Amino acid sequence: MAYDLSFGWTGTIGDVTLGATKADGGTRSTSYRIGGGTTIPFLEETAPSPTPLIAFEICDNPVLWSPIIKDYCGDLVNNPAEWAKTATNDYKADLIRLHLTSTRARNFTDIGSVGTVVESVLSATGLPLIIEGSNEPKIDSEVFLKCGEAGQGERLLLGTAEAGRYRSIAAAALAFNHSIIAQSPIDINLAKQLNILLREIGVPRDHIVIDPYTGSLGYGFEYSYSAMERIRFSALKGDTDLAMPMICSAADTLTIKEVREADPASIGDVAVAWEFYTGIAAAAAGAEIICIRHPKTIGLLREAFADMKTHPDAAEVQ
Amino acid sequence: MTDVELARKEGDGLLQAKVPGLSGSFSYEDTAYHLPISFALTGIAVHDRAAALDVYTKTGNNPIVATECLLAAHTASAGKEAEPYTGFISDTVIRKLGYSLVDGSILGLALLVGKPESGGSAAAVCRELQEKYMLTFLAGDVIPSLSGAGVKLGLDYRLIPLGSTPMYGIHFVDIVARVAMMFGGVTPGDTQRLITYAAERAKAIVIVFPGLSSEEIVFVDGMRVLGFPILSAGGYEGGTWISAEPDEIVRRGMEEKGIRVNVTAIPIPMGCSPAFEGKSIRKEEMYVEFGGGRSPAFELLRMQDTNDVVDGKVTVIGPEIDSMKEGSANPLGIIIDVAGKTMKKDYEPVLERRIHNFVNYGEGSWHVAQRDLVWVRLSKESVAKGVRIEHIGKLLASKFRMDFPALIDAVSVTLITDAAKVLEAKKEAELVYDERDARIKGMKDKDVNTYYSCTLCQTFAPNHVCVITPERPALCGAISWLDGRIAFEMSPSGANQPIEKGAAINVQNGEFEGVNRFVKKASHGEIDRCSLYSVMEFPMTCCGCFEAIALMLPEVNGIMVVNREYAGITPSGMTFSTLAGTIGGGAQTPGFAGISKNYVLSDRFLQGEDGIERLVWMPAALKEELKVRLEKKLADQGKAGFFEKIADENAATTIEDLTLFLERVQHPALAMKPLV
Repeated sequence: MAYDLSFGWTGTIGDVTLGATKADGGTRSTSYRIGGGTTIPFLEETAPSPTPLIAFEICDNPVLWSPIIKDYCGDLVNNPAEWAKTATNDYKADLIRLHLTSTRARNFTDIGSVGTVVESVLSATGLPLIIEGSNEPKIDSEVFLKCGEAGQGERLLLGTAEAGRYRSIAAAALAFNHSIIAQSPIDINLAKQLNILLREIGVPRDHIVIDPYTGSLGYGFEYSYSAMERIRFSALKGDTDLAMPMICSAADTLTIKEVREADPASIGDVAVAWEFYTGIAAAAAGAEIICIRHPKTIGLLREAFADMKTHPDAAEVQ
Repeated sequence: MTDVELARKEGDGLLQAKVPGLSGSFSYEDTAYHLPISFALTGIAVHDRAAALDVYTKTGNNPIVATECLLAAHTASAGKEAEPYTGFISDTVIRKLGYSLVDGSILGLALLVGKPESGGSAAAVCRELQEKYMLTFLAGDVIPSLSGAGVKLGLDYRLIPLGSTPMYGIHFVDIVARVAMMFGGVTPGDTQRLITYAAERAKAIVIVFPGLSSEEIVFVDGMRVLGFPILSAGGYEGGTWISAEPDEIVRRGMEEKGIRVNVTAIPIPMGCSPAFEGKSIRKEEMYVEFGGGRSPAFELLRMQDTNDVVDGKVTVIGPEIDSMKEGSANPLGIIIDVAGKTMKKDYEPVLERRIHNFVNYGEGSWHVAQRDLVWVRLSKESVAKGVRIEHIGKLLASKFRMDFPALIDAVSVTLITDAAKVLEAKKEAELVYDERDARIKGMKDKDVNTYYSCTLCQTFAPNHVCVITPERPALCGAISWLDGRIAFEMSPSGANQPIEKGAAINVQNGEFEGVNRFVKKASHGEIDRCSLYSVMEFPMTCCGCFEAIALMLPEVNGIMVVNREYAGITPSGMTFSTLAGTIGGGAQTPGFAGISKNYVLSDRFLQGEDGIERLVWMPAALKEELKVRLEKKLADQGKAGFFEKIADENAATTIEDLTLFLERVQHPALAMKPLV
């Protein structure tokens, strides 16, 4: 049966640039321009969609990182720079997402180390970087200032702004020309509200990526999917406050019951499967960036995307 | 006393004479913005006399431009001043500074110039600025004066000594100009945007001590164009400078510029968070209670003049909790006085309703109902931890300031626990309640062109749009037209938006072009038409929080209403919860409408179905609740006796029994034109 795939949409998803190459004043070997969509992805009758980017997540203090990943990556998890290098050369990720988990230690004060970590990761990889700062309001101001400074000129994507907590991150984006991730708890209205708040403080639209908040498949992903669908529909219908690319990170997939209780011999494969299917679903919902933590998920996603009617060369800016 | 007006004229003349005497080349290091003020205003990079003269002429002999050029030339020839003076501040520092401003860790900027009468009073002003998270710049005699009083200077202390004369205050202005270009997207040469940015975004104030020369006065006065309030601490008269005593000059300036200090932690011995909002304090857990029919109690929020409200002040009149018996009910009056530049009297009831949320935010405090029906409890646990009546006041004062920073500059709270005084104050409060009720009571839908939407419920009913009119409150009963209007004023991008009703399509059903247009857009294209007064044709969508449901009963040619509290079966064959499940979720279901209970009393109720005579059935409790008001209304309309013809569950719970009842009482609906 043939479906009518002309929806009469008038809106376009705005572009966001990730990473700056030498020509743009940075040191990245690649930069991407994401967004630009005019319909939902992977439709049969329409032009191919850009391949979603795959961001590999690392951290600078792996204490609370999934043991499955620690087992697989080994000693790398204790060295963010080496980990980033391996993710780039061996795992073949498109982006590196660095979680500054060290800042989450109780009474963290060593702000200087934040800059050192960011700089070491920047010199270890030529890929554009996503940086997740603190999640303690008291140190936000200093941490994001440091991240912003350390990555000046590199056009980072900084995370994560929320409705009650966006000023420091917005300030870092404005002061050092980075983009930011705006997260709302699976709610289109709150997503829009946050984008408006960011606009009022002066962050341009082409510096915002929406994180609709992603649960694992079977553990709330249905809600995320529905929120994403509505965000995207609104954007395509012309709501410019929602017309931004989306990023999804379903880190919960590594801790769900089915994975925790899997046979120790195959636990890695089970984890990869859950991460993979959640990632595919997020891509189908329209996400431009899929974040994953298990290196083996990257290849599976690539293979799947290749079969899903996408451009071969992704969103890469030449 | 120096006359500002006279000095201004003289100073202007002096500057005009000096500018042509510029010579040599001059520029600052570590900046991409040349002479930043001149560059921002005109887009011209000034490095020599010719460019300076050009900019000076183009800006109409602006004294700030003159000062910038003269000081740059002076610095170029005489060199930078020695420590502790900073002189021109580099772009790198400004970038961090701008970060702190956007981030909110610095609330605003202040410039202090002139020669204070005593180092002590200037030190007190600086201390207050530090306490209020302001970054303060100093120029001229104020610097030695502060050092003499033992005040530590430097960026770490948020006190920056720019230079030895007031003219160095120009660097304060060039910082604002650069922040506008770096953070505000102001393009060099776009004078209008720069001025708008400085006036609206730059939170800057200028405090002037005595002793400025006429050139310095014309320069300082020139900053008024940028919207900076100029406050005089004495020694000046005339002009538009604001005179203030040193002990109130900071407050005055911040108020003038709308700079507000955020309260972050509430100093009370219990947790305070929306997380506690849903808790209840049962009788066994309660230490004391107030109101709830057990003792007189009321709450009132009033707007006052700014000068009459001391921010953060909490007063308890009468006994504290220590002298109250455990388990007892005590009198309580909560009076909240608020003041603010943008506060309006109309906002009072909307803000007053927030008392309910805020008291419930307290881990050990609980609140229900409103006005003189309030009921408040404090838990044993919290009282054991040291919670007193006073802390409820502190909680309220802080929360109002925190949640309405744009509206409220000062809040004070009075808590009365003395029985006689509560009764006395309650009488006054009741007059205010009556006044407020009268305000909305007389309003009719036809008298206004703007209705308000409410899409709060779209979080779970994605396409639901409530349209609120003076005669039709939101279907949850919680938001009136006035509330909608005020909510929009307070939060222009919020869930309550104005709807121009536009031309009428169907007067009886209450269908309007503008409303349709709005509903179509706000329902994401799902709903094309919406009639405000009809249950049968294009009724409003239902979210899930309606207080009651009106639905047609074709067998008896009438409409029944059932409220949420009624758990039994209705003549429709369904209970409230079954009905609610059928019609909720943002759908439009002809024959069914979600309504507020009070809407039954509105002249617009069932207008599309030829009026209230269609009403055939309501639960007895709802009838009782509405009885006095509804009977009076019916009598006024010459329909006395109709109330008794409305059946309830005692008369009928099946359609058959209802038909018999309606025939017996000769219910008018039976003879009306067919509903379907």
